[in-house]
Amino acid sequence: MSREETASAQAVEAAAAEKAVFQIRSFSLWYGDQQALKDVSLDIPERRVTAIIGPSGCGKSTLIRALNRMNDLIPSVRTQGQILFRGTDLYGRGTDPVEVRRRIGMVFQKPNPFPKSVFENVAFGLRINGFRGDLKARVQWALEKAALWEEVQDQLHKSGFDLSGGQQQRLCLARALAVQPEVLLMDEPCSALDPIATGKIEDLIHQLKEEITIVIVTHNMQQAARVSDHTAFMLLGELIEFAPTKILFTRPGDPRTEAYITGRFG
Amino acid sequence: MRPKWRKGRGTVFGALSVGALMVGLLALATMIAATVLQARRLTAMDATSQAGLALSLRSVEVPGREFVPYVVAAQVDPDSAAERAGLSRGDVLVGVGGSAVSRPDEVWDALGKLGPGSSTVSWIPKPEKLWGPLRAVVHPERPGELGVTLAAVPVGSPAERAGLRPGDALISVAGLPVTGTRQAWELVVGAVRQGPQVLTLVIERGRERQELAFDPIVQGEIPFQPELWRAWGRFLTRIGDPRYPERAGLLSALVGSLLVVGVMALFAFPLGVGAAVYLEEYASQNWFTEVLQVLIANLAGMPSAVVGIFGLEIFARSWGLGRSVFAGGLTLALLVLPMTIVAAREALRTVPRWVREAAASVGATPWQVIRFHVLPYALPGIFTGIILALARALGEAAPLLLLGAFLYVTYVPQSLLDSFTIVPLQIFDWATKPQDGFAELAAAAILVLIAMHLVLNSIAIVLRNRYQRRWA
Repeated sequence: MSREETASAQAVEAAAAEKAVFQIRSFSLWYGDQQALKDVSLDIPERRVTAIIGPSGCGKSTLIRALNRMNDLIPSVRTQGQILFRGTDLYGRGTDPVEVRRRIGMVFQKPNPFPKSVFENVAFGLRINGFRGDLKARVQWALEKAALWEEVQDQLHKSGFDLSGGQQQRLCLARALAVQPEVLLMDEPCSALDPIATGKIEDLIHQLKEEITIVIVTHNMQQAARVSDHTAFMLLGELIEFAPTKILFTRPGDPRTEAYITGRFG
Repeated sequence: MRPKWRKGRGTVFGALSVGALMVGLLALATMIAATVLQARRLTAMDATSQAGLALSLRSVEVPGREFVPYVVAAQVDPDSAAERAGLSRGDVLVGVGGSAVSRPDEVWDALGKLGPGSSTVSWIPKPEKLWGPLRAVVHPERPGELGVTLAAVPVGSPAERAGLRPGDALISVAGLPVTGTRQAWELVVGAVRQGPQVLTLVIERGRERQELAFDPIVQGEIPFQPELWRAWGRFLTRIGDPRYPERAGLLSALVGSLLVVGVMALFAFPLGVGAAVYLEEYASQNWFTEVLQVLIANLAGMPSAVVGIFGLEIFARSWGLGRSVFAGGLTLALLVLPMTIVAAREALRTVPRWVREAAASVGATPWQVIRFHVLPYALPGIFTGIILALARALGEAAPLLLLGAFLYVTYVPQSLLDSFTIVPLQIFDWATKPQDGFAELAAAAILVLIAMHLVLNSIAIVLRNRYQRRWA
């Protein structure tokens, strides 16, 4: 065993020692005949930011969408293996995908607010989940969490579509946070944003990780290095390496990881 | 840089497209213009009806000229302008405002040219008013032959003016021998319709033959008020008398159409949209849904007459609904259901994935995703499909004809179990009638149908724009 591999193995053990929210066990996924995930095993620690990086088509988006069963919306998806969320198999017989998605929120690559008012965008999740508290207060709370309250407090009844791209993405963040999920999944949340808007989202990730587990997919390695505690590198549907971010970017255990982070492909 | 010839080809294609569009628009405009021209006579028709008249075309056999047409006052309303002018049922109209008329169309055209106001109308009175009752007696001179004698000459009648007296025997009218009582009057009509207003009458008075100049024409002033909009208003809101085109109305067909299409909408649209939602959102892809889709596609292409026969057998006979509004609505629902399903599915398919994902990501159930996000997004498309289906159903005649719907009814359907007629069938009925005036009614009803389509399509466009603005 080489020195790098030993270091990597130690890091994985260290990560596992922390309490894991997701325990992914030999998870494979097919779109029809095409296999998108190959036997992925991974523990995602609680109240940390975990980044998933890799070149286009490596399965990183598929993996993050497997964590809240968003892939169910695509017909012809087939899975094998387990994803344990706090010990319960997400793909088990008795698991309700709707309940899974309520507890595991998501922000998408392209800002996708509902074509409704700012207020209704945030309130929708609360209404359909039978929220009985002070709706206005909770909406304000979520917008404050997403650092959007200051900007939209006077235009809560304006269409969500009238906001700028960065504001729209923070609105989507507020919408996800409003139902107080335990995990927040972010699928390339900044790929459609300018650097300033990106900076705001990254600041938010730093603040939120105190309270919530975050999994972020990004094709931007600098971003992964800036925001995450742990990083997983994927290639062609396989998990190549998973380690604390500092270790993965400075002493990668796999030559393919090294090739990718030094920019030789991807 | 694009090669130059590509640009040239684009220009040619563009010019051809514009040309095709212009040809299409021109054809449409010509058709509508022809229909409008045809329907224009409706105003004059209504004016005669308002003056208390209903006209009919008759003909008289004249030796050497076969059948000569004439217009008879088939109805003269009590206390109407026509009656006050002296006209009565059975009189023959021969002139309106100076122009000779031989058929109802010519009366209406003459009125159309004259415009509103009092018009001089001339007519040949019916026999009783022309020369009173005639008596057929055995010829005093030649036993075995029939002689026609005047019994009592009415005061002020053309016969009295010409100097005829009771007891005079009519020998010939304008050179043609009199052989019967009715025939004598027809000879007068035939002669006047052929030209001379003053006829030569040969009579026998006390065994002496005499020639008399006989002017059978009576004149009167009848006020006619051609009113375009009121004429249309009355046409649309009366059931009318289907025997006379100037008195017929579209009301029962209009109400019948609206009721039938209403019943259809009630069944077809919830079912169609529901089926589309099931097929697009819930059903899994297996052989059963594949077969279902093929069936729906085939059903959409089924000839409407076949649907009508199905409706006759199932709704009218098996279910005992008869030729009722309810049976008609169900038959049309069957016809447009596949169209609605196909259109609604297309609309649901255009809903982008992110809409479903955004809603699902905050914990919405599949039904909540559909109810609050997918359906509102697809609604403009679904509306378009529904409006197209409505328009198709409004213009459909074949299925209801086969179901046994009437060509005209003399009442407005009061309940869903009443029998009915619809505008297209009413048009079919009118268009196939040979008498003057019915082609005009058909044209007017066609314009009503076109207007209904325009209104429906405008509603569809307004609804679509409103929803699109909300989503954009």
